[in-house]
Amino acid sequence: MALSRRDAMKFTGLAAVTAAASSGYAAGNEGGAKAATQSILLSPAPIPAAKGPRVVIVGAGPSGLTIAKYVKKANPKVDVVLMDKRSVFMSGFISNLVATGVLPLDFITHDFLEGARNGNYTFLQATAHEIDRTSKTVYTNEGIVKYDVLVLAPGIDYDYSKWTKGDVELETALRTKFPGAFIAGSETLTLKSKIENMEGGVFVQTVPGGNYRCLPGPYERSCLIADYMKRNKIKGKVVILDENPNITIKADGFHSAFEKLYKDYITYMPSTTITSIDPNKQKIVTELGEEIDFTDAALYSRVRGNKLLEIAGVAKDSVFNKGEANIDPFTYQVIGDKNVFCTGDVRPMGFSKSANTANTEGKIVAKNIVKYLAGEELSQKTWSSPLTVCYSAVAGDPMRAISVHAEYAYDETKKSFGFANAGTMEKWDGADGLAGGKGLVEWGKGLYRDFF
Amino acid sequence: MERRSFLKVMAAGATIVAVNPSLIRGTLYADDGRLYSAYEKAQIVDGAGNPIKASSLEKEVTYIFNYPYASTPSMLINLPEPTQQEVALKSEAGEEYVWKSGVGKERTIVAYSAICAHQLTHPTPNDSFIKYVPKATPTMAYSKSGIIVCSSHLSAYDASAGAKVLGGAASQPLAAVVLEVAADDTIWAVGVLGSDKFQDYFKAFKPEFKEFFGGPAQAKQLVSLSAKTVKLTEYSKEIIQY
Repeated sequence: MALSRRDAMKFTGLAAVTAAASSGYAAGNEGGAKAATQSILLSPAPIPAAKGPRVVIVGAGPSGLTIAKYVKKANPKVDVVLMDKRSVFMSGFISNLVATGVLPLDFITHDFLEGARNGNYTFLQATAHEIDRTSKTVYTNEGIVKYDVLVLAPGIDYDYSKWTKGDVELETALRTKFPGAFIAGSETLTLKSKIENMEGGVFVQTVPGGNYRCLPGPYERSCLIADYMKRNKIKGKVVILDENPNITIKADGFHSAFEKLYKDYITYMPSTTITSIDPNKQKIVTELGEEIDFTDAALYSRVRGNKLLEIAGVAKDSVFNKGEANIDPFTYQVIGDKNVFCTGDVRPMGFSKSANTANTEGKIVAKNIVKYLAGEELSQKTWSSPLTVCYSAVAGDPMRAISVHAEYAYDETKKSFGFANAGTMEKWDGADGLAGGKGLVEWGKGLYRDFF
Repeated sequence: MERRSFLKVMAAGATIVAVNPSLIRGTLYADDGRLYSAYEKAQIVDGAGNPIKASSLEKEVTYIFNYPYASTPSMLINLPEPTQQEVALKSEAGEEYVWKSGVGKERTIVAYSAICAHQLTHPTPNDSFIKYVPKATPTMAYSKSGIIVCSSHLSAYDASAGAKVLGGAASQPLAAVVLEVAADDTIWAVGVLGSDKFQDYFKAFKPEFKEFFGGPAQAKQLVSLSAKTVKLTEYSKEIIQY
């Protein structure tokens, strides 16, 4: 048999692997293989050595992206490493419009490397699995990264416990079949495909209690799905099961859209507590004994702080959600460890968990991190309010949207934050609503420009 | 004037500078700390190429001219009252500078870059979210009108005080276009004061440059001799303001 050079090389390669594997087994040397793996995990990650004080940011969402860019901008001598387990950025904001086919997928899909190039920081695609705050080390699947200042901006995770009481099989079935689609990525694509392939029937959208991510999101999505059904002559209905007593934000605008645009397409059920969900029979039972059979669903559970906070030992239940950041609300520094900041949707303050909030907050925190590295103490005096500006579409063609804007102020007597200088634009009909639709698109583009 | 000819003339004007780079002066930081870049002097002219007289500018109307680059829109506004003088301003990087005053007989005429200092929203031939909001028109962005508002994220700027930030997420004033009014009442743009966003803008809008200006190279050509100036309502098909 004539072997070409190419085949020979292939064959040799294969043989070498086989030999290595068998020698390992022969010697019963599993420890050796493990040691090799460990040495990779314990070696420095393959990024350039820090040339100045190093700020490591875990989580490249709206918060992390903003902080990376603006720390570097405020002081180019600071070494910034932005880390995320994802290879591609997809935004949660605007994703309802993508799922319902109004805007293309590439509108919300962006390139982490572009942000790193334009912002002159290092992007490391890696998963953090351990954080040792004593030695100031983040352990990742790419090796270790040392920090002087650590920013944890990992975002939310879902808290299914109210529905599942710890039944992991049920949780996995819900996550897989009926994802909430408020953590962008595969969930967004699942929702998109559900809507594209919809033939009719009942689509359930739940709205959780607590301070959940994107307050208007479930209502916006319900409008857009109803709009999709209407435009495509699909005999279906969106049933909104809301744990809250009323629509949580822009209530006038959404109520009037439900009533005037989607009377035959949306059923709104406030104060609805779900007691059981059967993902196979596709049946939901409520506290009041109502039984809802559904054809499809986006089951948005309560949210909690990402588990990375627990791994880092900086988690604490807030008045709203489980496992949020145990930080000074003015400085964002972890109580007892000023070198660690927690930002974005893991913050325990009752700010809106939304991109514009994280973006404006990120700029303030970035400035403060640079001050802190220069030896300045942070306090209530160095705090300023993030801004929430958010648009919600109520129809897709032509696009009509309503909006809200607000700042936050600290109430010294109540010891908590409340809205300040807030306003809404809830007239979706007429020229205002159409202008809102244009505003929504430009608002989103502005954020992407800022992130990347 | 047609939009098409407006853009064409702008580009043609810019070509002259492109072949004569010695005319371009660099960024100057004056001794008193002002942040100022001198560009080629350009006369404010109307769609037909005739000089616009300062006294003929309508009050409280947003005019647009592209300056200092062929693709960078600037706003020209004749305010109802004289502006403030010697306004101390600060860029987002902390550089301090002084905006002198409006120009014209009553010091009511001002010009600013129309690229929002927040996230670069600006007028395009399709639409505009940024404009001067006349005193009688309410805005969601601020408690009083007679200011510049970017309705994309509700940044508000004081038109009579060097575009100082009044509200919203912007972290620095709009860059000011420095104007001179000659003895014959003609208006000239001579430079840009403050921290501009031109480089970020060039990075962010490549597809748009292709659509409206021919491409990135054309978009970056410097305006020279004259800058065509039209009302915002003629420049953009649609104007959105909250």
